[in-house]
Amino acid sequence: MSDFEPKIIAFLCTWCAYVAADTAGIARYKQKPNVRVIRVLCSGMVDPSYVLKAFTTGADAVLVGGCHPGDCHYISGNFKAMRRAPLLNKLLEEMGVESGRFRLEWIAASDAPQYAEIINQMSEEVRRLGPFSPSMIK
Amino acid sequence: MGTNPVLNKKLAIFTATGCRACENAILDIHYQVSSLSRYADIAFWPYVLGSEWRDLEKQERIDICFFSGAIRTGGDREAALKLREKSRIMVACGACAAFGGMPGLVNMSQSSGESGQSQGTMDNNQQASEEKKPELPPLEPRVLGLSQIVKVDYFVPGCPPTQNFLWAAIQSLVCNGQSPARLSFAASRLPETIGRSITSGILPPKGSIFAGEKAVCASCSRVKEEKRFETYKRPYQAYEESGRCLLEQGLVCQGITTREGCGGLCTAVGLPCRGCFGKAEAVFDPGAKMVSAIGSTFDSDDAQEIAAVVDDFVDLVGTFYRYTLPTQCALFSTPPKD
Repeated sequence: MSDFEPKIIAFLCTWCAYVAADTAGIARYKQKPNVRVIRVLCSGMVDPSYVLKAFTTGADAVLVGGCHPGDCHYISGNFKAMRRAPLLNKLLEEMGVESGRFRLEWIAASDAPQYAEIINQMSEEVRRLGPFSPSMIK
Repeated sequence: MGTNPVLNKKLAIFTATGCRACENAILDIHYQVSSLSRYADIAFWPYVLGSEWRDLEKQERIDICFFSGAIRTGGDREAALKLREKSRIMVACGACAAFGGMPGLVNMSQSSGESGQSQGTMDNNQQASEEKKPELPPLEPRVLGLSQIVKVDYFVPGCPPTQNFLWAAIQSLVCNGQSPARLSFAASRLPETIGRSITSGILPPKGSIFAGEKAVCASCSRVKEEKRFETYKRPYQAYEESGRCLLEQGLVCQGITTREGCGGLCTAVGLPCRGCFGKAEAVFDPGAKMVSAIGSTFDSDDAQEIAAVVDDFVDLVGTFYRYTLPTQCALFSTPPKD
């Protein structure tokens, strides 16, 4: 298991979380290289289908990063993400996907250190959980 | 049986693991069932004619096979392979054959690999005499839809298939080229591509689904206003019969993800759609789409309130993938056999 490198798909909102990721890189914060970033206009456009598709096509975990509630560039997009996440989590849990594999985080543009920390934390957790295989039914 | 043994199509109708409601649905095409024998010789139909497997073996070839039921046992698999080998056209008839159906939900409680083998014999008090205990065929490790073990030419979804599409399918496949009036009638009920091909006398494209293209909402008669999902209700709980969209009233109605064709039969009488036509064309995964549809309409901006509503939901997988777990659930489906 030691040579397992988790693959994390991160859907980052272009106004906050993506900027934070960018800044974290420029500021040379130490980050695990397990993340594949997909830049989206808003966390509210991340349909649960995208998350499931990521899992079916080989992702070990999915992170959705959006602006803090109230800070959405489109006023209420992140509330949509916030409303979907618990139900999606419940569905994933029923299908045997551990709760650590899907996370919704609020990351402001200035939160570069927090972004790096979330990434590091998440990669460690997923490394512990092991590779995701869709065939494991609980 | 038929009047023209040369032109008449040879038909086989069979149910694997299922309730045989699909076969009843074939009988349920009303008076048209009598005219069916003018176009078809039914060579193999155990349920109605009491046919046995040797009757099938006597046939050199079957033209059209309507196969219903999920693949649950070794016997089902064998039957599917046998019928596929004999048949020119294989139709998956009903939700079980087309998508795995309700029997497919057992996949949730089955760990991968060997399972259920201890149920090899029926240990049942009703079986009085010991030596007459029937051997059950071995169970498949997972319940599958027909298309996952053999190539399927056409699908007629529904639980059971609705009479109009079933009759349209029978007319376009069995009676093709024999009665233009009948064909144009059938074509008027089918999606454009299928309709066009059958009126021009050719078979619809392989893999066609005899149902609509959009979602059930498109043909549902209820009034859709602004969606706000406040409390989770189950169908038996009282709701107000106001003609409003059921999802807005807190019922988990799957019309939004489900292929249309039924005309909103269930929703018209106040029962939320259960998704027996499978997912609509544009939907990637029915469960994810439902999560999106319900979740984004929660009437709250407060994380704790949302969590409280979500807590009320029971059995999401069993609800969202009620008929489609083995084939259309993105995470657990097995790829189709081509």
